[in-house]
Amino acid sequence: MEERQIQEFVHRVSNDEALRKEFASDPEGVIMREGFSPRVTQVVMRLLPHLSLGHSLRFSPARWWL
Amino acid sequence: MSNDTQPPVNLFAAQQDVLRERLLFLLATLHPVLRADVVRALEEEGKLLAKPRADAVAVRPDGSWALLTMLVAQHIDPDIDLLCVSSVAIAIECFVCALDLLDDVEDEDQTPSIQVLGVARALNVATALMMLAQQAISSLSQQAVPPGRILSLLDTLQASALNAAAGQHRDLLAEKRSAQELTLEECIEIAASKAGALMRLACRLGALCAEADDVMSEHFSELGELLGIAHQLDNDAHDLYYLLQSETSAVPPTKAENITRSIKTDLVRQKKTLPVVLAARVNSSLQKATAPVDKEEHLRALHEGIITTWGICLLYRERAGDRLRMIEDQRSLAPALRFLLDL
Repeated sequence: MEERQIQEFVHRVSNDEALRKEFASDPEGVIMREGFSPRVTQVVMRLLPHLSLGHSLRFSPARWWL
Repeated sequence: MSNDTQPPVNLFAAQQDVLRERLLFLLATLHPVLRADVVRALEEEGKLLAKPRADAVAVRPDGSWALLTMLVAQHIDPDIDLLCVSSVAIAIECFVCALDLLDDVEDEDQTPSIQVLGVARALNVATALMMLAQQAISSLSQQAVPPGRILSLLDTLQASALNAAAGQHRDLLAEKRSAQELTLEECIEIAASKAGALMRLACRLGALCAEADDVMSEHFSELGELLGIAHQLDNDAHDLYYLLQSETSAVPPTKAENITRSIKTDLVRQKKTLPVVLAARVNSSLQKATAPVDKEEHLRALHEGIITTWGICLLYRERAGDRLRMIEDQRSLAPALRFLLDL
């Protein structure tokens, strides 16, 4: 399940400084090792700036439908 | 995050005019005292009858639910009868407005409409809007639409209403459970039966109204459901993000953010949104490993929940994009529909 893959990956990157640094410096290598699908790859690449900044978040406003 | 560029001109002006005219025609049948309150609800920000505001940060066009149904129908059949499609589109606008009012009452949100109407009148207006949604579709019989198609549209509306009610019920019951009890899957199921079901309905009604074949109807229905789930998760992530920002930052949110967010009471009511549930699970595992979780660790868990939720939101947008490509294998979307879908 792709949702679980994302949850588990974010958890590991958030709590493992070595993985976080590796992901920041070599995202393609980490993604290849993890064996992500193209869809999950797109997602984790969008998350990269947030994950590699540790816990600093920078959201831009979204258009709200709901 | 979402593309927040605005169109240089109002891409939707022509459709909004048609929809407003049809809505006002439908409302004219109401008793004046009831009509005044129904109009008040339909003038809420983002609704079809919202008054233009000079200071508005136009995050979405007014009447976007009705526009979605109309533009999907026009994508499938560019020559579709405007009276027919506007009647169906008005139905979704009334239906969503009714659900919004009920949601505000259930969540004890003090929105402008609730402040003006009070709970009792708001509930009555919601009832009237539900009936108007059905009447809007029934009125197709005056336009020589075959009874079978009218029944199919009504059936779709009613099935969606029951699905949304079940989703809302699960959500209300979840408030009484601890966040650790809930799972990622349950949170997504609730989002699917609430926001997902509504956007699915808006797209499906448009497709049915335009007599799309089963495959295309299902593509649009799935596209709507996936986008609805994505928007719900986006909202949940942002709500918690802004709450944390307001509590941990000296920088206040912008005026527009204040307007949009300050009346939200979901978090105060301890709604078990996905980021909250995910954070609770992280906290739970921390508690098992160490002493009681300190505030810093709690904040880190919440941030992790927000990022994960946003990631899953992006996943649903990717899936919606896949459906969109299937739809566009037959015909490219018009700019207005593409902008509205925000993909």
